[in-house]
Amino acid sequence: MSILVRTSGLGKSYPKAFRNSDRLRALWRLLFTGREADGIAVLSDVTLEVRRGESLGLIGANGAGKSTLLKLITGVLTPTTGSVAVHGEIGALLELGAGFHPEHTGRENILMSAALHGLSGAQLRAKLPQIIEFADIGRYIDEPVKHYSSGMVVRLGFAVVAVLKPDLLITDEVLAVGDEAFQKKCIAWMQDYLDGGGTLILVSHSMYHIQKLCRHACWLRDGRVEMSGDVFDVTQAYLAFQERKSAADSATDHARIHDTEFSVLDMRVNGREGELPVSIRDGEALRVHARVHSRDGRTPVVAVGIARADGTPVYGVGSDMDGFEPKRGPDGDFTCEVACDGHGLLPGSYSIRVHPMDPEGVRIFDTMDRSITVRGNSREFGLVRLPHRWSSGGESP
Amino acid sequence: MNAVALTAEFVVRELRGRFSGSFAGILWAVFQPALQLAIFAFIFVKVFHAKVPGADAPGYLSFLAVALWPWTAFSDAILNATKAVQDNAALIGKVALPRSVLVLSRVCASFAIHVLGFVVIVCALSFFDSHVRLLTGMLPALLLYIPLFALALGFSLVFAAMQVFVRDLIQLLAQTLPLLMYCAPVFYDRSIIPVAVQPWLSLNPFTFYAEAFHALVLGHGALAMTGVFWALVVATLVLLAGYGLFRRLDRHFEDFL
Repeated sequence: MSILVRTSGLGKSYPKAFRNSDRLRALWRLLFTGREADGIAVLSDVTLEVRRGESLGLIGANGAGKSTLLKLITGVLTPTTGSVAVHGEIGALLELGAGFHPEHTGRENILMSAALHGLSGAQLRAKLPQIIEFADIGRYIDEPVKHYSSGMVVRLGFAVVAVLKPDLLITDEVLAVGDEAFQKKCIAWMQDYLDGGGTLILVSHSMYHIQKLCRHACWLRDGRVEMSGDVFDVTQAYLAFQERKSAADSATDHARIHDTEFSVLDMRVNGREGELPVSIRDGEALRVHARVHSRDGRTPVVAVGIARADGTPVYGVGSDMDGFEPKRGPDGDFTCEVACDGHGLLPGSYSIRVHPMDPEGVRIFDTMDRSITVRGNSREFGLVRLPHRWSSGGESP
Repeated sequence: MNAVALTAEFVVRELRGRFSGSFAGILWAVFQPALQLAIFAFIFVKVFHAKVPGADAPGYLSFLAVALWPWTAFSDAILNATKAVQDNAALIGKVALPRSVLVLSRVCASFAIHVLGFVVIVCALSFFDSHVRLLTGMLPALLLYIPLFALALGFSLVFAAMQVFVRDLIQLLAQTLPLLMYCAPVFYDRSIIPVAVQPWLSLNPFTFYAEAFHALVLGHGALAMTGVFWALVVATLVLLAGYGLFRRLDRHFEDFL
């Protein structure tokens, strides 16, 4: 498979230009010595390869250098060190309406962005009707872009890229802005594009999207590649890191949590404590244990919920619904455990949440969650396995 | 990157931007010079009684107009193009494009407007002044716009690149560029200034163009071939140097915008 993008030792630093004299000095240096002023490094020593058809997901906290890396790949920025080689056409859908001029109409902006993608005048006029049709924003196409809703701007931007079909598409979560119908269209196009050998570099904070669309992932941390490789390994390591960090953060304000009427002290999934995702086998029982602190000693209701990694709820139940009361331990805290023997969850990533509620089961006070990964080789679809049986349908019900 | 289509797109955008929202639109390219000429006619001819020296000299108004319009194209191009990179900071930060296209398109737009104005003005003047030669004068004179364009583009590339780093440049240019015009025989003939100063005028890159337009369109003075040669050399050198400097700096624009 041919290599589409290769970066080696890629680094970018921004010059320190706080005062005006710095700008003058920088100009002088660039003109006469050809040397760059030392600056603030935002990205250093990034070496990665993207092959045709192997999409890459970029993850990392805000300010980790993801956008800078994308800008270096698209050629908007010039690297300070190292190099980027791109073999193919790049289409970038980064910020909302990037490259669109608000005063100009949609049609004019399409012409401009097609020209920016390197189309000649004739090609451009040939593609224009297709682009307008894909964007499907009706008479707004001849209105200035400043009158558009953000969804329309995304439609326009996406339509240009969709019709031009670049070899490499660089995008982030801007597509989430469109309405349901357009999102479906985008996803259908994206699937088609990926099936047809298209390659994607996706920046997202949604591990679900990254896992769904990409085969490889690269985790950037403070401008360096922390980890890169198979998408599942990298996203899991990243999530584990994030959880450790948030646990460290929450430890500092534990006092504040204790201040609320009810708070979760700890939870165990299948007897395992800690923030790391718990891996269970398909069909293995799931046991969730929680310890809840009650400030005034009243007995809380404990609710336990399971959601898919993207937040779609799967199941939730409260102890009051089953008439169960958490038991008060010798230390004054309440404990309870819910066991789910035939949980029926299909392989995938889920999160389990525990919420203490007031004795009336009305208000939620705290949340603690854990990720679990259900492992298995089932080919069934969806979230859970429903009890079912097959028959020829001949017998009467 | 299809640079021609891209430049064309930017020129259209530039022209549309200049006249958008006005009722007369692109017609202003013709109205504006006509109006300006009427004002000059009143001030210089009626109030100051300005005259071009010489027995068979052309009328002052035609003398002024045929050199002033090329100057306006030149200076308008430079002043507009100097801000080309800075004004498109948002675009540069998000889309990869050859930045020189931004400068080129602004120079093109200025020249398009003012060359059109020049043609209109010279045609209009030909009704009032028998010295104005339309076919034998104006058509070859239009060729002069080619080196003038190269010269303007060369300067624009230098200034547009420097403007990114030193924002004072545009202010400075707006004040000093007219000086270049006053030091060229646009408002006056070279023969009316002290003899000792006369040769120095040739150092001004625009002097050649002012006198060449006078010579071609009005038959006032002669167009020396050595002058044409040097003008071509200077225009080429300025353009090459400007492009070289621009390329040297344009990798770093994003850091300073």
